[in-house]
Amino acid sequence: MTVGFFTDTTVCIGCKACEVACKQWNQLPDDGFSFSGMSYDNTVSLGASTWRHVAFIEKPASSGEPDDKFSWLMMSDVCKHCETAACLEVCPTGSIIRTEFDSVFVQPDICNGCGYCVSACPFGVIDRREDDGRAWKCTLCYDRLGAGMTPACAQACPTESIVFGELVDLHERAAARVDALHAAGHTEAYLYGVDQAGTDGLHAFFLLTDEPEVYNLPGSPVAPSKTTGRAWRSMVAAGVAMAVAAVASARSAR
Amino acid sequence: MTYYDVPLLKRTVWKWYIPAYFFLGGVAGASSTLGLAFPPLRRRCARLSLVMLSAGTVCLVADLGRPSRFANMLRVFRPSSPMSMGSWLLAVYGPAAGASALLSSAAGTTVAGVTGVPLAGYTGVLVASTAVPAWQDASASMPALFTASGVAGAASLLMLAGNDDASARVVRRYGIAGLVGELAAAAALEAEVGDARPYRENPLWRAAEALTATSLLLALPRRRNRTREVLAGITGTLGSALVKFAVAQAGHISTKSHS
Repeated sequence: MTVGFFTDTTVCIGCKACEVACKQWNQLPDDGFSFSGMSYDNTVSLGASTWRHVAFIEKPASSGEPDDKFSWLMMSDVCKHCETAACLEVCPTGSIIRTEFDSVFVQPDICNGCGYCVSACPFGVIDRREDDGRAWKCTLCYDRLGAGMTPACAQACPTESIVFGELVDLHERAAARVDALHAAGHTEAYLYGVDQAGTDGLHAFFLLTDEPEVYNLPGSPVAPSKTTGRAWRSMVAAGVAMAVAAVASARSAR
Repeated sequence: MTYYDVPLLKRTVWKWYIPAYFFLGGVAGASSTLGLAFPPLRRRCARLSLVMLSAGTVCLVADLGRPSRFANMLRVFRPSSPMSMGSWLLAVYGPAAGASALLSSAAGTTVAGVTGVPLAGYTGVLVASTAVPAWQDASASMPALFTASGVAGAASLLMLAGNDDASARVVRRYGIAGLVGELAAAAALEAEVGDARPYRENPLWRAAEALTATSLLLALPRRRNRTREVLAGITGTLGSALVKFAVAQAGHISTKSHS
């Protein structure tokens, strides 16, 4: 069974219940109580101890009314559980696995903190925790799924901005939502991560109303494995040249 | 428009140990291969390889978030992970290099000499297989640069030792091949990446290229001159090491500016 999240940013009210529910359920340490100056966002980004992050974008108003200074864009970001998951592909220990729910899970008892996944993730999601030395990210509440429960963030979301379910159903629901928004005149609405060549699609995808970069999402993420073949071929060619250089140099002694 | 200038990608968590290992491992591999190709230098090459490999292994383990779990590297065989392939390569190369240096084992010399070839280059594949723009964009030139840099570093270090004339000729040839390769691969890399500024405007990168070019100029004259040889060895070694640190630095710069 392939499950995932459909995050509809048009109904997000920025309450951060998802952030709190995630922290509580997964018993994640706090990130310090600091003031970022970035609108209502003091969480700043996803990280080793932050698996849901609500972004607040203050968008210049388009109506032209004098009192209308800006409009809100709010989005609850999360690990995308990519179909072609860079973190999983590069993990040398087999700590990162594809679960029976087709989610991407880091096994904490295996991870040795090599840090390869941190540099491989094209979304900047997974990170290594300083104090504990291991890599951490959203588990899609693997423990809750096993008990037939909904992930904590989706359970806590009061507006159904975060919807959990089977991926095929979510795709259907999301397409209908985009159609409804288009019919209502909001033609800027589109789905992010459903057809994405660089990752072969995201199991946690989004409905957005502006460019991905506005939400700090990559416009065209590419899993490193898509370019690794070229690198291996280059290594073989360079290796042949190296062997030839060694043999040819040895001959010069005569 | 970006999101409050927050970098999209996470900064690489690797400390200086990792570019240091890239240098040490590359030198070890290139040295073993020369030792196999040219038996009079077998002992010297095997010793150099073992010293470099030992220091490199310490670097690798020290950089882990959980060093005590280093053995988990051999828990699975995962071709999609260049780091997994490198771990298995080291598992074969390491004992062979040890047997070659300590037991004068012919089989060890052969295995280390053959596996030394990919050992010099796989780290280039490893960094290219990330989302770091300055690395991922250089997937064709990076392995060539790392391989050539390994050859240049090994030959440069061997130049520092007092070799007989025949061996000195071999080392010089091998070194010139590595130094030329390093300069060519660096130029190819600058052309390959979309945004070459993290390299071109990087003092480490420019210093590495200047040192490598200097070493090449010093190594070119055929007539042997010990002072020139030593200077070529020093500049070549520094250039080979610095280029790995420059690549690491370029990765950090491109991660920070990427949006």
